[in-house]
Amino acid sequence: MRNMVNIMTRKKPAISLENFTPTQLMEYDACTRCGECVKYCPTYIGRNEDRNIEPRDKILRWREFVTKSYGWKAKLFGPADIPPEEIKKYTDDLYNCTTCGMCGTVCCAGIDTIELWESNRANLVKHGTGPYGKQNLFPKLIGEGHNPYMKQQTDRLAWMTPDIRIADKSDIAYFIGCTAGYNQQVLGVSTARILNKLDVPFMVLGEDEWCCASALIRTGQQHLGDVPKQAALHNIEALKERGAKRVIFACAGCFRAAKIDWPRAYGKALPFEAVHMSQFLAEQVEAGKIKWEKSLDRTVTYHDPCHLGRHVGVFEEPRKVLMSMPGIKLVEMERNRNEQRCCGAGGGVKAGLPDLALAVAKDRMNDAKATGAEALISACPFCRRNLLDGRDELKMDMSVDDLVVLTANMMGLSTDIKPPAPGAPKESISDMFRTQTIPPKVPPKAP
Amino acid sequence: MSMSEGLPIAGKEVFDTLFIDYRIMVAFAIISIIMFIAGMYLQLAKWGQGIPEGAKKPPGTLGTLQLIIHRIFENGFGPALEIIVLDGLFQRRTWRRRKMEWLMHILIFWGWSGLFILTVVAAAAEFYGPFILDEPPGQPDFFIRTFATLKIPNLIFASMLTIGIVIAATRRLFFSDVPPARFTIVDWISIIGIAIVIITGFLAYYLRIDFYEIEGRMLISQYESAAPTFFNNPIVLFHEVFTLLFCVGYLPFSKLFHMFVTPLVIMINKGGYVEVNE
Repeated sequence: MRNMVNIMTRKKPAISLENFTPTQLMEYDACTRCGECVKYCPTYIGRNEDRNIEPRDKILRWREFVTKSYGWKAKLFGPADIPPEEIKKYTDDLYNCTTCGMCGTVCCAGIDTIELWESNRANLVKHGTGPYGKQNLFPKLIGEGHNPYMKQQTDRLAWMTPDIRIADKSDIAYFIGCTAGYNQQVLGVSTARILNKLDVPFMVLGEDEWCCASALIRTGQQHLGDVPKQAALHNIEALKERGAKRVIFACAGCFRAAKIDWPRAYGKALPFEAVHMSQFLAEQVEAGKIKWEKSLDRTVTYHDPCHLGRHVGVFEEPRKVLMSMPGIKLVEMERNRNEQRCCGAGGGVKAGLPDLALAVAKDRMNDAKATGAEALISACPFCRRNLLDGRDELKMDMSVDDLVVLTANMMGLSTDIKPPAPGAPKESISDMFRTQTIPPKVPPKAP
Repeated sequence: MSMSEGLPIAGKEVFDTLFIDYRIMVAFAIISIIMFIAGMYLQLAKWGQGIPEGAKKPPGTLGTLQLIIHRIFENGFGPALEIIVLDGLFQRRTWRRRKMEWLMHILIFWGWSGLFILTVVAAAAEFYGPFILDEPPGQPDFFIRTFATLKIPNLIFASMLTIGIVIAATRRLFFSDVPPARFTIVDWISIIGIAIVIITGFLAYYLRIDFYEIEGRMLISQYESAAPTFFNNPIVLFHEVFTLLFCVGYLPFSKLFHMFVTPLVIMINKGGYVEVNE
């Protein structure tokens, strides 16, 4: 009998509990299965209500895996088998999620789902079934090249135009981010010109700026080469060394990383204050420092980026800025603020599951269309890019732009970037104020 | 000793307030509590095997218990108490989003808790009478009074629990706004178990209520033959034993375990998503 027990208990559980805190394991047992999360999940809806994608089902499936592997029966009789294909299917379903956090917002059991999904993803990456698709390129790209777009560090400031003044030393820094730096130059130039116009001297890290590494954490790959920790420590030390007391982020993804992920890597509070550009602009509006030089009779709606809104809690400042603009009428989408529908790009979905990202973006664009707005404004370059894709797919007549770009224009500033390179991404230039066009890609020369 | 007599303990005669065999009740209460503690230990042991990022080894059972207590009270006793009351006892998060579900949960939670509290009160009274009031041995008057006092609150809490479960079943079958969750054997066990508790509970209640008129003047020795279904009624005994085993002993192993874990998680997560607590 003892031998039999030994044989049975020697069997290895099919899953590990690595990366889970004990309280996260409790969260799986706390789900009441009410299904409130199901009603709001953007990817469940984007996947035509596929039951495997709903957050509740993922919780119940992982709970079952844990019970089979570590429950009381497993303790007495040994862990039960879980077919590898079942774990693989679960992994794939788990990555059909933007980690937008809507499920946690509405969860009646108060489960912190964002952290739970990220821990679960890290666990499955260690298991060998995660991440999904092209997401596995992130560690190499970000670890070695310090950005996910395969660009050169020397091109970090390639967006700079001669009119922009950047200080060598200042206690205010602008953390540009990879997306604005390489692909959405309009956001970089608009931010810089606004700061110049407001006489706010600022410095940038330039070639010394590394990717915030958000994509790695969101996809559960933080432990691979310890890249996010190294990136966070590098950026923090570089900013500290140059005397930054306040760091401005115009990218919601970088801002979220700086507010939540960087302090964890650093092990204590950051030595500077991290503020999002929308917060900075709201302060300036309140202080009466922004002089609007234009009036724009346009009805706009505002999309709360998950990383700025639900993850960090910045909801009102962007609206304050929009409402202060002459002529602008702000209308809200039915789902706004903490109940906003995700744009579909986050959590590695844009890179790993572009069809899902597009499906969710289309749903969000339809939310915007229902308001009758002429333009959709957001405060995250990544959201903007995906919403532009959704807009184009739907062939919808609506502009999609960033709050910072709109602000720059209303302040009478140019939103023009350096002449765009042939075939540059469409989001390089402003969508609302199209004073520039992107030349078509030069066809490769015939051999 | 006849089955309807009290149990001699330390020179006193102790009766069960439901007038079923006290020895059986005590034995099953102990078994249920041991099962509950063992179940909780196994759950804590399971949670304690989690290895957070950066940690070298899991915190273990005791470490998890310490962690839970620390997380609940890390912002001080006042904020923790607020969350315990508003989110634990009054389920604020559910109220904010799902009113009908809130009603259902409140009825089930308070119905269940009320019945549990009354059971503890009854058990306490069984000792209070003979040992503190020093009731004379062989006189069950005190126990009869206790039974009569607890009867109405018992009925109220039992009705709350039943209405809550009826709402849950009705919502799930006819008015669900989302597709139902996957269903497993554990769910069936829970449904069948709850059905047995409710049916036998009301049956037991009505079997005894017929004798309400004689309660005040009965003495066990005189009336046992006159009211044979009152004493050691097999349905009452079954209901009590089954309820103890199912609702206490089996709780950590069942689907209903969320009744216990969900409030804990809400407390650990400081009320959940922050907006709710603003």
